[in-house]
Amino acid sequence: MKFKSRFSFSGFLILLILGVSLAAPILSPYDPNAIAVGEPFAGPSGKHWFGTDDLGRDLLSRILYGGRITILIAISATAIALIIGTLWGLTAGVRRGWIDEFLMRTADATMAIPQILFALVSISAVGASVISLPIVVGILLSPTTARMARSAVVTELASDYVVAATASGIKRSRLIISEVMPNIAPQLLVQLSINAAAAVMLEATLSFIGLGIQPPNASWGTLMLQGYAKIWNTYWFVFFPAAAVTITILAFNAYGERIRVSMDSRRSSI
Amino acid sequence: MGKFLLRRATSSLIVLSMSVVLVFMSIRILPGDPVLAKLGAATEVTPAALKALREEAGLNRPLLVQLFSWINRALNGDLGVSYFSQFPVTRLVAERIPVTLELTFFIILIAVVFSLILAPLSTLKPGSIVDRVIGYFTSLGLSIPGFVIGIIFILIFSLQLQWLPSRGYVPLSQSVGDNLRLMILPSITGGLTATPYLVRYLRASMLEIKQSPFVRTAEGKGLSNWRILFRHILPNSLVPTLTMLGLIVGYTLSGVVVIEYMFGLPGIGSLAIESSFKRDYVVIQGVALTIISFFILTTFLFDVLCGLVDPRLRLTKEQKSEV
Repeated sequence: MKFKSRFSFSGFLILLILGVSLAAPILSPYDPNAIAVGEPFAGPSGKHWFGTDDLGRDLLSRILYGGRITILIAISATAIALIIGTLWGLTAGVRRGWIDEFLMRTADATMAIPQILFALVSISAVGASVISLPIVVGILLSPTTARMARSAVVTELASDYVVAATASGIKRSRLIISEVMPNIAPQLLVQLSINAAAAVMLEATLSFIGLGIQPPNASWGTLMLQGYAKIWNTYWFVFFPAAAVTITILAFNAYGERIRVSMDSRRSSI
Repeated sequence: MGKFLLRRATSSLIVLSMSVVLVFMSIRILPGDPVLAKLGAATEVTPAALKALREEAGLNRPLLVQLFSWINRALNGDLGVSYFSQFPVTRLVAERIPVTLELTFFIILIAVVFSLILAPLSTLKPGSIVDRVIGYFTSLGLSIPGFVIGIIFILIFSLQLQWLPSRGYVPLSQSVGDNLRLMILPSITGGLTATPYLVRYLRASMLEIKQSPFVRTAEGKGLSNWRILFRHILPNSLVPTLTMLGLIVGYTLSGVVVIEYMFGLPGIGSLAIESSFKRDYVVIQGVALTIISFFILTTFLFDVLCGLVDPRLRLTKEQKSEV
């Protein structure tokens, strides 16, 4: 077994994005919500690297702080989806029979409900916040996670070592927790990465249609909405948050892809 | 074929009824009293009058009874009345659905045309520069939110070049030219969002078929690469892709919500967004039901289509293992 290279650019990018968001208070040149720190609609300059918005707020600072909200929502949503989805898929895959049938049909039904509409209804009812957004996004991502977890468990349970372990009289719960779970962990990690990308995308989309964090705080999606509204004044305003969102999604997707490829090649090299 | 149809129809119906129940429940679980929403915040009502109104709306009956009477009415084409405008929801949806269907049609058309060009190009020589460039663009396309593609197009074609309008809608019946001009940017935006999924899938199934013996026979006969690609590989890989296309049509129907909103198109997506700002749940519920029904119907039709084209797909798993 050999590794091509331990360094992964996408992994590095993810760490960088997380680090920069964490360090936003140190890195930001201005208070993100302070108005008129520069001329309104100024383009990028030495003083304001990313320019300023309609109220003369520094865009670099707003994007750094916006990243904290976006990343926080994405991470919590991913965690929620992982917990609900894994439990859902594990139960279906381990129990089988009608429980499996019922749980997987529910997953199909949930996936048939348009994501944006579900989010529209629930968020307009409870209001957008750093609590409600991750819950809604997390729920939306859990059926796909459940399907993945189920198929991984079903494949794993059919393998020889499980048969051997069962024959040795090991308890079912212990078998699942200490034998099967570690073996499906890489697949869960792939799903985790894809989910994080999807969460950033969903949060951005929801904010873009006005269901995001309310002003003066702003996530990247909210910044894009504001920038889009002022697109006739300056295109820098919408460009930087859009770039931040796209790069983040790209990094998470690429990282997931990378783990999957290394998993497949490892399997085929055995 | 009859058995296959029956089996697919049953499973579609099960999924449909489960999602209908989910839609109904999710609206009921959420805070916000529909009667209060109907009255509006400004009106003062006595608790007795409120109770009478709730009884009139049937909100005091058991949840299951409400669910069944709601389904019964929905089956008869009555989706309720908008709290806000007092128009029947069916009428609101019917007025706006042509826009959504037209947009979806163009989006799928563009995605299919692009995929039929890009996927064969990248399978012609796997690993070549062309293949890798297409691969990079598909990865990028999967990571860019649809509305960001829309923003880029507006920046280029509306702001810089001033070739195309960025917002608005003219009905087909009024002026075909104006209608199509306004549809260009939203359709390309949606089309480019859907293309990467289709290209990936089509490329994978083409590569798989490239391995099969009949392709080697064709190569052995000395047919040109292009002929093998378009006459032998492509037609055979279209069948598995059909299922994927069905899913993409479904996802596009719900994905157009954002595109409609950003380009100012009055489809059911914009209707849902407008209603959510007014907390007009009945309308959102109606839109959700419409989209879900279309979604399940299209995936069902595409599955049946696949079964028609490829009889092997009509078998169940058990039957397959017997073959």
